[in-house]
Amino acid sequence: MLSDSAFPRLTAANHEITSAPDVGYNCIAWAAGDSARWWQPGFFWPLEVPRHECGIGALEAAFQTLGFEECSDGTLEAGFEKVALYGAGLMYTHAARQLPDGAWTSKLGKAEDIRHDAPDDIAGGVYGEVVEFMRRRIS
Amino acid sequence: MSNAAVTLELSDQFAKLASEWKSLTRYMSNSTQMATVWPYQQIIGLGQPAIPFILRELERETDHWFWALEAISGENPVSAEQAGDVDAMAQAWLDWGRQKCLI
Repeated sequence: MLSDSAFPRLTAANHEITSAPDVGYNCIAWAAGDSARWWQPGFFWPLEVPRHECGIGALEAAFQTLGFEECSDGTLEAGFEKVALYGAGLMYTHAARQLPDGAWTSKLGKAEDIRHDAPDDIAGGVYGEVVEFMRRRIS
Repeated sequence: MSNAAVTLELSDQFAKLASEWKSLTRYMSNSTQMATVWPYQQIIGLGQPAIPFILRELERETDHWFWALEAISGENPVSAEQAGDVDAMAQAWLDWGRQKCLI
């Protein structure tokens, strides 16, 4: 179990660690289905943005290029996959991806991947709060 | 203070700041957020003398030292093809450091 002030809402019951730590990819890459790169403006990003861009808008635009569009919430919807975008202030901090059973998966920075019950489980600390949900149709 | 003493002091200072930075940024995914953490800013503020310590730390354990190295050196040896591949980025910086006899 992760017990850290970074995640005040995580409990032993609402998450499990699913990988070893890996500095090679981050949550944005993981939410996009890529575990080989660290997604960051100035490093790798799916569209052209200035390297200093770190706002929620840049993250939203990145997922739009992958076919996602804004949706109202993180409930499981047949035929769609969803991501939750997190921010603190104007800065994006994290993205989580919904699993087919409705649970969520997150890569925690340079640390482990976890499976967690709900997007809010990892909010309230280092990632701030969920600021947007996006979905795309599963082909 | 002798050069050796200055180097030892800088080594201790870097090790302390690097440890603090790693601890504070363990769960961060936004490199901009990581680079604005105070210990990272302090390491950049150490200037050119910090580069060998950063490179040796990068050699020991891959981590996101890229922006500090670029900010201090004014150079970026990472190619467009390597960008985002953290191991390749680290190797590019280590090769750069070896070419300049910094490690």
